[in-house]
Amino acid sequence: MTSRYLLGRVGQALLVLWAAFTVSFVLLQAMPGDAILIKFQNPDLGLTAQQIAEIRASYGAEGPLWLQYIHSIGNFLTGNFGYSVQAGVPVSASLAAHLPVTLKLAMLGFLLASIFAVAIAFLSSLAPFAWLRSAIQSIPSLFISVPTFWLGIMLIQIFSFRLKLVPVINPDPWQEFILPVITLAVPISAPLAQVLVRNIDEVLTRPFVAVARAKGATRNRVLWRHVAKNALLPTLTIAGVLFGELIAGAVVTETVFGLNGIGGLTERAVGSQDAAVLQAIVVLSAAAFVIINLIVDLVFPILDPRLRTNPGAAA
Amino acid sequence: MTTRLQRFALTLAALAATSFLSPSTYAEEGGEPLKGGTLVYLEQQAHTNLYPPAGGFYPNGGVLNQITDKLTYQNPKTLEIEPWIAESWTINDDATQYTFKIRPGVSFSDGTPLDAAAVAKNFDVFGLGNKALKQPVSEVINNYERSEVIDPLTVKFYFKKPSPGFLQGTSVIGSGLVSPSTLALPFEELGDATKIIGSGPFVVESETLGKELNLKAREDYSWGPAKLEHQGRAYLDGIKYIITGEDSVRIGALLAGQADFIRQVQAYDEAQVEAQDFQIYAPPTRGVNNSVVFRPDNPLVADLRVRQALLHGTDSKEIVSTLFSRNYPQATSIIASTALGYVDLSKKLAFDPDKSKKLLDEAGWTLGSSGLRQKDGKDLVLTAYESLPQPQNKETLQLVAQQWSKLGVKLNVLAGDSGSKTVDDLDPAKTPVSPAMVGRADPDVIKSQYYPKNRDVLRQKGGLSDKVQNFVDGDLNGLLEQLASEPNRDKRLAIAGEVQNYVVDQAYAIPLFEEPQAFAGAPYVKGVAFEAVGRPSFYSTWLDEH
Repeated sequence: MTSRYLLGRVGQALLVLWAAFTVSFVLLQAMPGDAILIKFQNPDLGLTAQQIAEIRASYGAEGPLWLQYIHSIGNFLTGNFGYSVQAGVPVSASLAAHLPVTLKLAMLGFLLASIFAVAIAFLSSLAPFAWLRSAIQSIPSLFISVPTFWLGIMLIQIFSFRLKLVPVINPDPWQEFILPVITLAVPISAPLAQVLVRNIDEVLTRPFVAVARAKGATRNRVLWRHVAKNALLPTLTIAGVLFGELIAGAVVTETVFGLNGIGGLTERAVGSQDAAVLQAIVVLSAAAFVIINLIVDLVFPILDPRLRTNPGAAA
Repeated sequence: MTTRLQRFALTLAALAATSFLSPSTYAEEGGEPLKGGTLVYLEQQAHTNLYPPAGGFYPNGGVLNQITDKLTYQNPKTLEIEPWIAESWTINDDATQYTFKIRPGVSFSDGTPLDAAAVAKNFDVFGLGNKALKQPVSEVINNYERSEVIDPLTVKFYFKKPSPGFLQGTSVIGSGLVSPSTLALPFEELGDATKIIGSGPFVVESETLGKELNLKAREDYSWGPAKLEHQGRAYLDGIKYIITGEDSVRIGALLAGQADFIRQVQAYDEAQVEAQDFQIYAPPTRGVNNSVVFRPDNPLVADLRVRQALLHGTDSKEIVSTLFSRNYPQATSIIASTALGYVDLSKKLAFDPDKSKKLLDEAGWTLGSSGLRQKDGKDLVLTAYESLPQPQNKETLQLVAQQWSKLGVKLNVLAGDSGSKTVDDLDPAKTPVSPAMVGRADPDVIKSQYYPKNRDVLRQKGGLSDKVQNFVDGDLNGLLEQLASEPNRDKRLAIAGEVQNYVVDQAYAIPLFEEPQAFAGAPYVKGVAFEAVGRPSFYSTWLDEH
């Protein structure tokens, strides 16, 4: 792995971030209406047209677009994300308050999803009886078709309201995440499991497996020692891509469970077209996406010796 | 998230909740109030900006009502104005000068005295706004000129023109008194509840933005409204607000004993709450009824006969009986029957589809082959955006659309969360029809709703929108100005009656029902009170043994 390769990747990452910022800026500006309008046109405030025009001017919402663009990109570079018009607090404070919840939810969700996926994949080739194996193999299709919010509400109704096992209102910190993590993990585990199952099937047909079996390795040993290592690689790539799903799932999960994370924040910001908040979330998500994929790419050659000599192939 | 799936899930969830929970025992009302405990209160939405004039938004009002006091107290039963922070007051004959005597010994929770100077500072900001800090003018204060501190406990307000609604205006949620240190902050920082320093029975202890807000009782509070039975500190030790957006989760959590009190209960959920002996609270909002209004600037509804046809073609009784409950009385005027100055106009609002068809024929709109009415080759197709804060507004508008389709008129109902709503709503050409409602227990509320410089629901030229071509109703505006400035109470109420008749005669609005604010509480929650417009006050609330 050369330093030139690394520099190139970091440069790419910065380019992606800039593009994400610019595209989201243009899209947010292209939408009819904006956060100031939505907030102050609210009849409950009873402001006159003139008062609203004054407020707009005071927020700098009436300047030329390119000036606003330069202004906001300059602010971003200096770490000033602006004010959330709707909530009336700095965006950075809002992000700081919401980010830990989502990080925890996403990490635990991904961990559980991986456990589900590995369990499904291995059971689907280890379980006795063909019918059981095919039943287990169809679980990912079921998991991916269950709407996240429906699953969340059903889990709440059954485990919290009916069986009273975990409260959803005022839960302990450790209880708070049980149901949301399950809700989030189910749809994420499905594509992971599917790819894993297919890879295991494929690797099982390779000649070296036959060789290993011929040497007297048990089915279990072949699966764990020889197949797993090879089948995991493509799954890792999928895992990087799944991050997007994770964010989307978090929006719904956090809304249903009233968790105060980036997902819930996004949902509210979209509703009120709070451009400053959305802009920050887009850039943050893009950054996370870029970093995760970068890590995946860098880890690949470590796991797969074939890629070590030619880093370009990992991209 | 699709609405259909969501609805399906909610139904399932509701079924699950109703069938598996055992009913609790109902505790009798009365007995000696118990002190202590924290009320867990589930809110549907997070509060936004807590600048007091922005208190009209119910989540804001629900917080501000506990942490701020008002100069006067409007008795929610009699609607009379009673002393609170003001011990007494005098008003000159033409209602241009108000003098208030302030109760001694009152302080904000930061220790600043609540005296004449603080009151003057509050109303200077509410009445005139503060451009530098971006603080807007309050909609309940009309014609404000200036204040004068006469002595440390006497303050006098001057108005450019008569402002008879001001006394009641000092009692509303938007006139909560806050410490001068709060008013010194720019508007955008007032979204942080911990910065709102009031003199109320509760103070903000901590806040997790968008999720949770904790209030604790103020131990030295001894200045509740003078005529209330309860004096001294609040019975509760604290209130915990938790934002819970999902309807089914709020209801389920209340019934499962995880919460004590919730806001926003849909009419279709009332039965399952009451079936378990939990209490539904549906205080009226006493203002302009939940209505459909027209924007006559749009040529399709510019003809009085078309508007009248649609008014008589709307069956508000069917709307109430199909979608709502007994807590949502059918409208009999443009304002609620519990509102000040109400007159019964049910005769003028009668459902009469035959009359409607005749009126449309007369107006030149004839039934075409498509089943739609046509004139000069144009179809009578109208559009309205759903209003998200109003209960089941989409369903309501869809039912109205069904009723109108029987006359050959099509009403398109668009989703309230679409990005184009705020902009299109200003343009009568795009939204000839709109849902509308506003609560306030003073006849000024009619002006708030219709006057071009206030909410301007009819979209007049020179009002909120620059997209209006030429519609102005000088007669209506004249009446509204009189309403806001007539100092004589009887004359003022008479004008309120005239305005109601005028709006219905012009068929500017089709009133549907009197909108309550719906809450639900556990059986052991006692002494919940509501201000005149349905915002909860937990000052006298206590938790019985449970």
